[in-house]
Amino acid sequence: MGWYNRVLTKSLWVFHVSASPCNNCDIEILDLLTPAYDVERFGIRLVGSIRHADLLLVTGVVGRKISTRVLRLYHQAPKPILVVAVGTCPAGGSTFKESYTRAGPLDKVLPVDIFIPGCPPKPEAIIAGIIKLAERLT
Amino acid sequence: MSGQGSYNLPVGPFHPLLEEAEFFKLRVEGETVVGIEFETGWMHRGIERICEQKTFDQVLFTVERICGICSTSHPFACVNALEDIEKIEIPPRARYIRTLIGELERIHSHLLWLGLAGHFIGYDTLWMWAWKYREPVLELMELISGNRNHYAMMRVGGVRRDVPAEVLPVIREKLSPVQKKVEMIAAAAADDPVLKSRLQGVGVLSREAAVDYGAVGPTARASGVDIDVRRDEPTAAYGEVEFKVIVRENGDVYDKLVVRVLEILESIKIVEQVTEKLKTTPGPYYYDIKEIPPGEGIGRYEAPRGEVFHHIRTDGSNRPVRHKIRAPSYVNIPTYAASCLNLPLADVLITTAAVDPCYCCTERSLVIVDGHDRRLSVDLLALSREKTERLKKDSDKEGVLW
Amino acid sequence: MSYEEFLTRFREKILSYRQNGNRLYFEIRKDDIREIARFLFAELGCRLSTSTATEVYDGFEVQHHFSDDREGRYFSPLVRLCREEPEMDSIAPVTKAAAWIEREIHDLFGIVFQGHPDLQPLLKEDNEGVVGYPLRHERKE
Repeated sequence: MGWYNRVLTKSLWVFHVSASPCNNCDIEILDLLTPAYDVERFGIRLVGSIRHADLLLVTGVVGRKISTRVLRLYHQAPKPILVVAVGTCPAGGSTFKESYTRAGPLDKVLPVDIFIPGCPPKPEAIIAGIIKLAERLT
Repeated sequence: MSGQGSYNLPVGPFHPLLEEAEFFKLRVEGETVVGIEFETGWMHRGIERICEQKTFDQVLFTVERICGICSTSHPFACVNALEDIEKIEIPPRARYIRTLIGELERIHSHLLWLGLAGHFIGYDTLWMWAWKYREPVLELMELISGNRNHYAMMRVGGVRRDVPAEVLPVIREKLSPVQKKVEMIAAAAADDPVLKSRLQGVGVLSREAAVDYGAVGPTARASGVDIDVRRDEPTAAYGEVEFKVIVRENGDVYDKLVVRVLEILESIKIVEQVTEKLKTTPGPYYYDIKEIPPGEGIGRYEAPRGEVFHHIRTDGSNRPVRHKIRAPSYVNIPTYAASCLNLPLADVLITTAAVDPCYCCTERSLVIVDGHDRRLSVDLLALSREKTERLKKDSDKEGVLW
Repeated sequence: MSYEEFLTRFREKILSYRQNGNRLYFEIRKDDIREIARFLFAELGCRLSTSTATEVYDGFEVQHHFSDDREGRYFSPLVRLCREEPEMDSIAPVTKAAAWIEREIHDLFGIVFQGHPDLQPLLKEDNEGVVGYPLRHERKE
């Protein structure tokens, strides 16, 4: 699988899911496409359909209503798929830890490959996290 | 309610890059929308319950994270509510700093909306420009508060951090290219025939409907309703600075765009005035408030999307009895029922986006239901961009925003 | 119309009131809510900002908040409801802004608004996280 991983990491296609977030991490992820960070120079692209994705980027507190849909998306994704949790919310809940609608940290719902904490993580941190994951593969 | 030949469509993502959160039910006849219903619950995080369990000092951090884009609006309204209980005064320096943060946030939020609107109608250049010129504003916020968003600047009795004197000239320096660019965009939008034909007359919200639904913010101001919390009930330094409240008459998407673009320029003016005042106002930046007295308080603030409302009831302890939060999108989103009727499908996306819904603040969920229970998948973004392409072909003029 | 004139006009309907600068909090009977709401919305031109529902030891209190934007002040009528039968008139026929606001209160507290056009769950549909009436202080079994 070595050659597959090397090819994969040259051009990661990312699908972004927001599971009850405050939208801050989502905006920072969108910011990656803009001229200031321009993540497309790494070959990273945001795609509109889960079936084209290599990497699933999840933000948010993961409410119970949306956790079933997130799981469904994970099953629809072509394997192998990498899962990245962005922000402090999917990791530990941040200030919403006691919420009655929370399904738990993201790894209770899906297998997560890497957590990128921060509230919100700076775009540089998100890029660094994805690259670290890519390096781990090769 | 659906007649012969009418279909309900499942609307894909509101934002093409977000997960498919079905959130409205559009009833369609042919290509025209005849009805709309909402399903919410996806974003519900039980925040009001959490706020009851936190002390007044802790709740500001929770309330900040209700929304990432209007991040300082909720704490601002929350401290206004707590200070309203017994009309607590704050020092002048704190008033100016609060206003500074609030207006910087308004600039970055409107630029964000401008970019998204541009993306939805196919003006990707506009998207890249608007978001590129957001960066200096976010860098300023990081310089002042340490974080690009979620600034944690508000506290009862003042602000949490001072703005040091070295930062003040940097503010002017960073905002000056933003101002030039926004002025250029305003002139180009006024001049661009395709933009006008795409947005004028689209998604009209009449003045009566805006009043009946209790719409707030640019959504209401574009429909001729002259309300702005900054002028109607000035807190912080809004009573001491001069600015115009932009009101337009037609209530269509073009007017909402004009209101927001001009508001960015007004915000830059306010920031300049406040920065001047900060240079000559020494003194403390907070008063140490030890207790919140029992009672109730109403606090409001004009967030980029409209009026944020907090109502807090206290009993003398350090936790609230009840903390009610109402975000502006809560009253603005139901106006879709009025503005989306009889709209061609290609215009639905930009009309819903024009209200600048902050779903995290509200609770979004829109499901388009089919009359025959048929789920048709329609890419609203592609439809919207296609319409712009058609209009561009029909027009001869070269646009600078394309 | 000043606060004093308002209080004089509705003298028989207002059970108690408290004024705090530009805020007027007053209590009325639940049967009078629609009339007061209609007066505030249609005659004084106020806008419904939102409504707060609170659980107190002997029932519930629902407080609507009407904003008089021209003067920058608030009228907040409060209605007390008993725990066994938390019902009151809906003000959605007066202003459409109340529709979602009352639906949310119904979802979270279980208060029934009579005359509401569509009291469907706003937050609870398909949402296993929201069970019962989450903002009530009942002990969960």
